[in-house]
Amino acid sequence: MKQLQRLFAMLLVICFANATMIQAAQAALVTTEQVAGMAAASPQDSPHARLGALMTRADVQAQLERFGLSPDVAKERIAALTDDEASRLAQQIENAPAGASDVLGVLLFVFIVLLVTDILGFTKIFPFTRSIR
Amino acid sequence: MLLMLALTGCAVQVPRLLGHPPPDLPRQVELVRTPFFPQLELQCGPAALATALSANGRAIQPQALVDKVFLPGREGSLQLEMLAGARRHGMVATLLPGSLEAVMRETAAGHPVIVLQNLGLSWAPTWHYAVVIGYDLDAATFVLRSGTTERLELAFRTFEHTWDRSQRWAFVALPPGRLPVTATEDEATRALVAFERNAPPEAAARAYAAALARWPDSLVLAMGLGNARHAAGDKAGAEQAFRDAAARHESSAAWNNHASVLLELGRRDEARRAAQHAVELGGPLRETALATLRAIDR
Repeated sequence: MKQLQRLFAMLLVICFANATMIQAAQAALVTTEQVAGMAAASPQDSPHARLGALMTRADVQAQLERFGLSPDVAKERIAALTDDEASRLAQQIENAPAGASDVLGVLLFVFIVLLVTDILGFTKIFPFTRSIR
Repeated sequence: MLLMLALTGCAVQVPRLLGHPPPDLPRQVELVRTPFFPQLELQCGPAALATALSANGRAIQPQALVDKVFLPGREGSLQLEMLAGARRHGMVATLLPGSLEAVMRETAAGHPVIVLQNLGLSWAPTWHYAVVIGYDLDAATFVLRSGTTERLELAFRTFEHTWDRSQRWAFVALPPGRLPVTATEDEATRALVAFERNAPPEAAARAYAAALARWPDSLVLAMGLGNARHAAGDKAGAEQAFRDAAARHESSAAWNNHASVLLELGRRDEARRAAQHAVELGGPLRETALATLRAIDR
């Protein structure tokens, strides 16, 4: 049995060695992202890899769930980004503007300011106002 | 009063545009056939994106986009994800220059424009995505599909104020092969490289070919055309694209990829010469070129 195991291990070693040799000598195409300077310097540095690793952490998954995203959907969405975009996303996710934030929580003071600025044409919060200009 | 002074600082384009509109700009445009999807709850992002995609022949309901561009916890959609969401539905999403004229020119070319507005104030933001479908120079208004309003007329000034507070963020989503009329080479290139990442290679090749026709000096577009054709299995087409790129640009990437495709086509001698040239050019891709050369001589 032990000999069989050893044989199997030897076979594996040979396979892996072969695979890496082929890898090293393979003619590879330079990707467009690399040419455009939009790709990360190395695969380990790739923001996709970093975001992917982040997503396996429990605290990050909890955060995603608070954003209302399942980890699987989040992974798909990250895969649709370029390296460049993914790294910006990682930096911005807390601060980037998202459409349709809630005005209801804002104070009455803001309501009045907005009513005035709506009428002056600086803002457009209320459907019933008409800009004077 | 102080507040209003602070707010008036930004808008400068409207008077100039109204005083001297570019002569070739139509006085009036409205893309009346643009479909309308009233937004559900706070989901203006999916609604705006569905509007723009459906207008360009990719019929889709906002509900199908919620999973792709909506962040329930933030009650909104991130800008990056709006672009990625368009790409995931086979469209090229290109950012536009932040000028009113660019928005007008795109609608005049038949392209609805998705814009991000801050309808509120800089310190009390109300972010909102809407779709500009036209304008009227005489009435000084833009026409939008916005939220639950099918046809919203917004005074130029109001639009500019609300748009200015989003750093004038706007994009068009077009099928591969069609280009926005106002996009810069940089933005169009960025859009296509991002598109190539997840698109069917044939579609990416079509898109690159159209862009390369407009910007023939672009190395990135030429490389994209070769890479997309190669991914689509069109080796002869890829060879030609890389040959053109290598002839035009002293780029080790172009020479390396040309060598690699020549090798695949069995043209070993030509491949060796191309790879040697790529190695001579050196730079950060020298290792890649050396690997290609080794593969040829193996």
